[in-house]
Amino acid sequence: MASFAARSFVAVLRKDLLLEVRGGQSTVALGALSLLVLVVLVFAFNPAGGERGAAAAAGALWVALVFSGMLGATRAVSGESENGCIRALLMSPLDRAALYAAKLAAAFIFMAVAEAASIILMVLFFNLEFDLRVMRLAPAVMLGALGFAALATLLAGISSRLRGGDLVLPLLAVPMFVPALIAGVKASAAALAGAPLGEFAVWLKVLVAFDVLFVAAGYLLFEYVAGEE
Amino acid sequence: MTAALIEARALGKSFGPTPVLREVNLSVEAGRGAAVIGANGAGKSTLIRLLAGLSAPSAGGALLFGEPARALAPPLRRRVGLLSHQSFLYPNLTARENLEFYAALYGVDGARAAVAQWLERVALGGAADARVRGFSRGMEQRLALARALLARPDVLMLDEPFAALDADGAALAAALLREAIGRGCAVLASAHSAGAMEELGFAVFTLNRGKLVRPQASAVRQSPPRPSLARQFS
Amino acid sequence: MSGRGIRLWLGLVTLALMLAALYMIFVYVPTEAEQGIVQRIFYFHVPCALVAFVAFALVAIAGVFYLWLGQQVWDDLGYAAAETGMVFCTLVLVTGSIWAKPIWGAWWTWDSRLTTTLILWLLYGGYLMLRAMAGDSEQGARFGAVVGIVAALDVPIVIVSVRLWRTIHPAVLVTRQGGHGLEDPRMVATLLVSLAAFTTLFIWILCLRFATLRMHTRLGALARSLALAEAAAQDS
Repeated sequence: MASFAARSFVAVLRKDLLLEVRGGQSTVALGALSLLVLVVLVFAFNPAGGERGAAAAAGALWVALVFSGMLGATRAVSGESENGCIRALLMSPLDRAALYAAKLAAAFIFMAVAEAASIILMVLFFNLEFDLRVMRLAPAVMLGALGFAALATLLAGISSRLRGGDLVLPLLAVPMFVPALIAGVKASAAALAGAPLGEFAVWLKVLVAFDVLFVAAGYLLFEYVAGEE
Repeated sequence: MTAALIEARALGKSFGPTPVLREVNLSVEAGRGAAVIGANGAGKSTLIRLLAGLSAPSAGGALLFGEPARALAPPLRRRVGLLSHQSFLYPNLTARENLEFYAALYGVDGARAAVAQWLERVALGGAADARVRGFSRGMEQRLALARALLARPDVLMLDEPFAALDADGAALAAALLREAIGRGCAVLASAHSAGAMEELGFAVFTLNRGKLVRPQASAVRQSPPRPSLARQFS
Repeated sequence: MSGRGIRLWLGLVTLALMLAALYMIFVYVPTEAEQGIVQRIFYFHVPCALVAFVAFALVAIAGVFYLWLGQQVWDDLGYAAAETGMVFCTLVLVTGSIWAKPIWGAWWTWDSRLTTTLILWLLYGGYLMLRAMAGDSEQGARFGAVVGIVAALDVPIVIVSVRLWRTIHPAVLVTRQGGHGLEDPRMVATLLVSLAAFTTLFIWILCLRFATLRMHTRLGALARSLALAEAAAQDS
């Protein structure tokens, strides 16, 4: 049975990635949105470089992550509403938890690609250096993307089934994401400013706790979100 | 012990205060077919959605294999096929990819060969590697029919299977339904008019303002003989 | 005793306790030396905060029971608790803001407790938006239960992260938060009476709202059976 769940997880994820390669809209749209957010924030902050520039850059990166995450999760989930495919998935022997895992994985992959692009853009726009410090951003950003994908996939399951639901998603997702947002911005700023590893690690712990909590909650609760109407 | 694979027991559904289905009693045994006809908005689609477990009843029970349709365990879900008025197909995948995806979800043995065979059966062999987005409504309906039958279900529910099909398509769909019944599948279909359904030997019911009635019972012919009687007890 | 009788008695007890609390807050309790008269708002602020926390915990508990048992009564309880909790949470923010202005010199500071309360307010504001959008359907109840549970799971990690956020960058103002030790026993007594008053007020409002939602549920069921009877009458 476990192998069947694993196989159906692979089937759904494979299908989502195939659709993404075909349509190619999600990652491109996510990347474009991240680019726009960074540009807007460069105008807003007028970064001068140096340590304050690093703090502003870290903030900008996470704003981009929140926006692209919202779009990524919505697309991974709402892709199923065309032609009522979600109903076919619910009627199939596919386990709800496997469906959640597959959607979470797809949203995370879309976000990770977009985030990698935003990190490069951030270094360029905020006049930072490509060095070890930028590499140290990676764990924080990836943990943040995973947490947001876990949260937003669960909530997108709700918002995709309500009229005017696209409004509900940010209203619920952003306040819930606050702990990871605080931790992520601080960890990223610490990484960019070359702070000692200890300061960085505290925030990574918060991010890990957030991820564990929300992946588990989503895995257990998605069944109730994706049930019948 | 009931042998009915599809069963509605005093099934009722209201949207807000408005009743859509009232006290519907219906049962379909293995190797039998039943058809529900009625005007638009008579509650045909709602009945099928309730029996498919996609919607919660307001009253009574919607049962498949004697279990509540909403809470069907995965091994039983595997044995249910549904053709809805929505095609359940991904427009950006090809016909073959769509069927292969569902074959993987249903754990169909020899998926690749089975898919190829189904594509031929619904006369889509030539369009197998074209994206569904470009399909005509009739092609989409034929593919949707193949999708519903792919895992050889023991329970088959179809919401207006002949909609959008031309004469050839309708004949093909009729043949597929006959074959499903022949191997012991319980079939419930909805339709606008009784004609085609009576030809198939289905027991025809009429939904009128949410109530199920059986008109001119004498006019309904017997279902064809069931070759696999043992199946219903398995 | 009938539900109505219980609510009447609850209302009377609340009234009595609230009058006692008001008397103690404005007449009986001595003025705090350092902060002066404005510190009295503390006796409103703290009970409201506690009640809001209890209400939001209740939302999650009711959510768990709703998903487990599927009975509408749990959703009615959870929804009532969320609405009532939101009222008290708003009061916490308002009283906190009024208190902060003379003491800290600003209407708002990103103090860890205020920030946490604001996040709570946003979380359950989102919950109420969701419920308003979903209408009174079984689906809305299920979504409400899920969001109520997830929000409650989020609260501890919000508290931890906000506290870390503030302590790593300590603000001078924050340290003064701890400055209201209740050295006088009359202060303790006033706080306790005020807590009791706000707790009964919360329970009373919750009961009223819960009863209204129960009636709404029953009304829906009645409307359904009436429509069914009408349709049956037309059949014959």
